[in-house]
Amino acid sequence: MKKKIIVAFTLAFSISAFAQQKIEDPPPRWLQGRSEADAKSNLHPFSPILTGTDIKDLKMSTLKLPAGFAIDVWAEVPNARSLARGSKGTIFVSNLAANDVYAVVEKNGKREVKKILKGLNAPNGVAFIDGALYVAERTQIKKYENIEDRLDNPPEGVLIVDGLDPTNGPGHFWKYLTVGPDKKLYFNIGSPQNITIPNYVQGAIMRVDPQTGRMERVATGVRNSVGMDFHPVTKKLWFTEHGRDWLGDDQPSDELNVLSKVGEDFGYPFCHQGDISDPLYGKYASCDQFTPPALKLGAHVAPLGLHFYTGNQFPTEYKNNLFIARHGSWNRNTKQGYDVMRVTVDAKGKVVKYEPFLTGFLLNDKGDPPMWGRPVDLLVMPDGAMLISDDYNGVIYRVSYKK
Amino acid sequence: MIYFPSRSVRIATLFWVAVLLSFASSAYSADIGAGKIKAELCITCHGQGGNSTTPDIPSLSGQPAQAIATALFRFREGNRKNPVMSPLAAELSNADMNNLSAYFSSIKRISNHETQAANLAAGPELTSKYNCTQCHGPQLQGLQHIPRIAGQQYEYLTTQLRGFKAQIRSDMDGNMSSAAANVSDADIVILADYISGLKDQVDSK
Repeated sequence: MKKKIIVAFTLAFSISAFAQQKIEDPPPRWLQGRSEADAKSNLHPFSPILTGTDIKDLKMSTLKLPAGFAIDVWAEVPNARSLARGSKGTIFVSNLAANDVYAVVEKNGKREVKKILKGLNAPNGVAFIDGALYVAERTQIKKYENIEDRLDNPPEGVLIVDGLDPTNGPGHFWKYLTVGPDKKLYFNIGSPQNITIPNYVQGAIMRVDPQTGRMERVATGVRNSVGMDFHPVTKKLWFTEHGRDWLGDDQPSDELNVLSKVGEDFGYPFCHQGDISDPLYGKYASCDQFTPPALKLGAHVAPLGLHFYTGNQFPTEYKNNLFIARHGSWNRNTKQGYDVMRVTVDAKGKVVKYEPFLTGFLLNDKGDPPMWGRPVDLLVMPDGAMLISDDYNGVIYRVSYKK
Repeated sequence: MIYFPSRSVRIATLFWVAVLLSFASSAYSADIGAGKIKAELCITCHGQGGNSTTPDIPSLSGQPAQAIATALFRFREGNRKNPVMSPLAAELSNADMNNLSAYFSSIKRISNHETQAANLAAGPELTSKYNCTQCHGPQLQGLQHIPRIAGQQYEYLTTQLRGFKAQIRSDMDGNMSSAAANVSDADIVILADYISGLKDQVDSK
């Protein structure tokens, strides 16, 4: 009898210990922060077509632009993500799902795509300063000197900064990279999870001086920013930020933010879109402690690259307008995004208008997949045309304007 | 014979048929016939039509085309490494990969695995609990880049799940490593036994 009781007790204890442990187990990364109400949801992230889509299979005729604008395919680059232009005209293209960096060069009127770096670790960020290409990988940023003269025989990368992924987890490990007016490199370190209290260098925008290697945190409370640009007049940093998942189809909105001073806090994980207190972490802070977004971009639209239009080809009212590539939602039952938006900013740097510019990638907002293409990054060319990368199909489009 | 009342209606109808066809076709411009020819080398290990009979070699039949192309691409680019597959994939162009994928995708999956009676009941509970069905689909037949696991080789499934759990299996976006992180080895065995024995009840296409 006594033995039986002990067995029953031990069993009950081990079952409760087991249940306890299961509650503490973190969920898979894409489900982290999901509410009970969404437990049956079968929403899932989409993946690019790594082998690329044949040009003739691209549904170009569904694309819509304002009158006078045209779009065509400019180059095919597998999983094309971020774009940067060298001073001699080379276009550098990163990818994320593979591990390479490509260069697109024009020679005697012919465009040539070549793989210049391979074997990298999630090389999402590319930037160009004074003859050198900088590539941001999962854990490090490297410099490739005098790259445009050595495309066929690229130099070994020189390490600028390392240790950028302290947890080496499956979270937001990919980095955007851009150059500031101060010739420093700006990049994101994303939150390691959908919703969590990040450590002090995570959920941040950092900058590093490539001359000295000195690094500092310029913005905090940023869940993940995969697009940054500097206003051509005010020189302030504008950046996109992805809001958290699993708070419903219509909130929180993704954000367009402006950095006014070094060290500014944009609220994550405590406050979303400037005015929604997080259900779990909101109690630790108040939304009015943080800088609100300059513009709410829409829920789960996944804004990536953004670029101020500094060219002379588009009509004059487009000068210094901001274009934003929206990669499109997965964490939403009715899909939205998959387009390029135009933001009109007044002389004081205030947003006055937000409207669609390039649409038509979204075919069926309830489809799986709902889209045939996904814009990622933007680049204004010297002739004023705009390049748009599409990682889903592995192509770069060119948008031009003719009166 | 369809009767068209007028030429304009005929043209309009042809236009919409063309539009529907263009949407129905996959994102790949692939040649199944060319894929079948190219597949001759593959089937020496992966079995006739990609239905493997070797325990640790996966079946390719009935996979979503994008899932096969993704795996081949990642072998070629070095994201995923295997002493046999890496050098083979190195010889393939993107078009070869798309053709091979279209071919194997068109073949019906055959599974000869018999699931133990106890695991027939436990299986569905675990595939829901561990979120397998969330991405791999209610019948675990995969979609887009997410592979079909229904009717996959038992030993291959256990090896992959253990590899993801140990974070030594190449993982494109971290989803599988995090999904497998909390699965006990006992549950890996049950999952693999159940999933491997799944036969087509609903046509995958």
